[in-house]
Amino acid sequence: MSCDHILTTQSYLDGQLDGAQIDAAERHLQTCAECQTFAAQTADLSDALRRTTRHQAPEFLRARVRAALKREAAPTKARAFWWGAASGGGASALAAALALFLFLPPSAAGLAEAIADAHARALTSGHTIMVASSNHHVVKPWLAAHAGISPPAADFAAQGFVLTGGRTDTIAGRRAAVSVYAHGNHELDLFTWVDKSGSLPQSATVRGFRTAFWKEGDLNFAAVSDVDQAAFQKFIALARE
Amino acid sequence: MDDRRQRFEALALPHMDAAYNLARWLSRSPVEADDIVQDAMLRAFRAFDGFRGGDIKAWLLTIVRNCWLSTVVGSRRRAHTSLEDQELLATDASPEDTAIQAGTQRRMDLLIAQLAPEFREVLILREMEDLSYREIAEITGTPIGTVMSRLARARTQLRESAKEFL
Repeated sequence: MSCDHILTTQSYLDGQLDGAQIDAAERHLQTCAECQTFAAQTADLSDALRRTTRHQAPEFLRARVRAALKREAAPTKARAFWWGAASGGGASALAAALALFLFLPPSAAGLAEAIADAHARALTSGHTIMVASSNHHVVKPWLAAHAGISPPAADFAAQGFVLTGGRTDTIAGRRAAVSVYAHGNHELDLFTWVDKSGSLPQSATVRGFRTAFWKEGDLNFAAVSDVDQAAFQKFIALARE
Repeated sequence: MDDRRQRFEALALPHMDAAYNLARWLSRSPVEADDIVQDAMLRAFRAFDGFRGGDIKAWLLTIVRNCWLSTVVGSRRRAHTSLEDQELLATDASPEDTAIQAGTQRRMDLLIAQLAPEFREVLILREMEDLSYREIAEITGTPIGTVMSRLARARTQLRESAKEFL
């Protein structure tokens, strides 16, 4: 690696730049063969790393930690109870209820509506694509830089779903990366956003748009389109591969 | 009711997988990872009053990393426990994986495990936990420039060693 810009290019690929920095990095990337190679290799490596093991905490460990926390908190627990009882337990119960409420995920039903809305909004405004390319080595880093997420953005042209580009959108208050596909005259949007907890809705048709949701690690995926059921299922199968 | 513990659990427990994943990749041992995570969660709970908002995930992972460091120091004093590669290879392949995918996954897992710890940690935090350079710098206590160069080196090394099957 001899290009002086390689670390800047890497920052761009990792979505760590903003504003004018992004433009400068993109301009450089267009002209520098070394950085283009680096971008392609980093994207491939990133794909491979997505398939490596993200270890999940075993159930027994969660239970063990909870039990340990309970023991740790035990001495103050009795006091807290009597304080609560003496000075109006209502206040602390209310605080606890509020705290729980704040951590509740956005409702699953609202999510299907939000995805259909976002898709419809993009279609009617004509702004479905912010970066136009059928090359996932272009779309993927662009999404990483602009949405802060690096979704697979694979091309399924051979199977009838042509990657046409990407854009960013907002879903449930979170930034989402959208990979845009064409199937005949129809458009399919594949939304990706980060959400660690949160439940996802069942597949449903919302105002004529088919929606489907799934999770991979801490990434949420949603496909939305008005293609027929068979094509939609085929696309989901490809996207989930 | 025990409000403090409830608040802590609501904030911290959602990051248990991130904590465990980091502990597991740093220690390269499921048994040690269990102990590191439990130790870290307790330490975090004790220090919770000092947590002034901000990024709880980065804060927790900093504690996980510190707990791991103290086990490393401890085990060096006792005796050196060597890594069993089989331990790394034996786990987590889901049944629906094709043989090839599983093979690639295992080989990648092994190659990551062989990276030097300072390269391994930035790679895990960036690629698996999707943390920003700034957060990684905070967690590892290194300047952002160092994070960037270590990440580039980690990627180059990994790509080189994975060349024949990537």
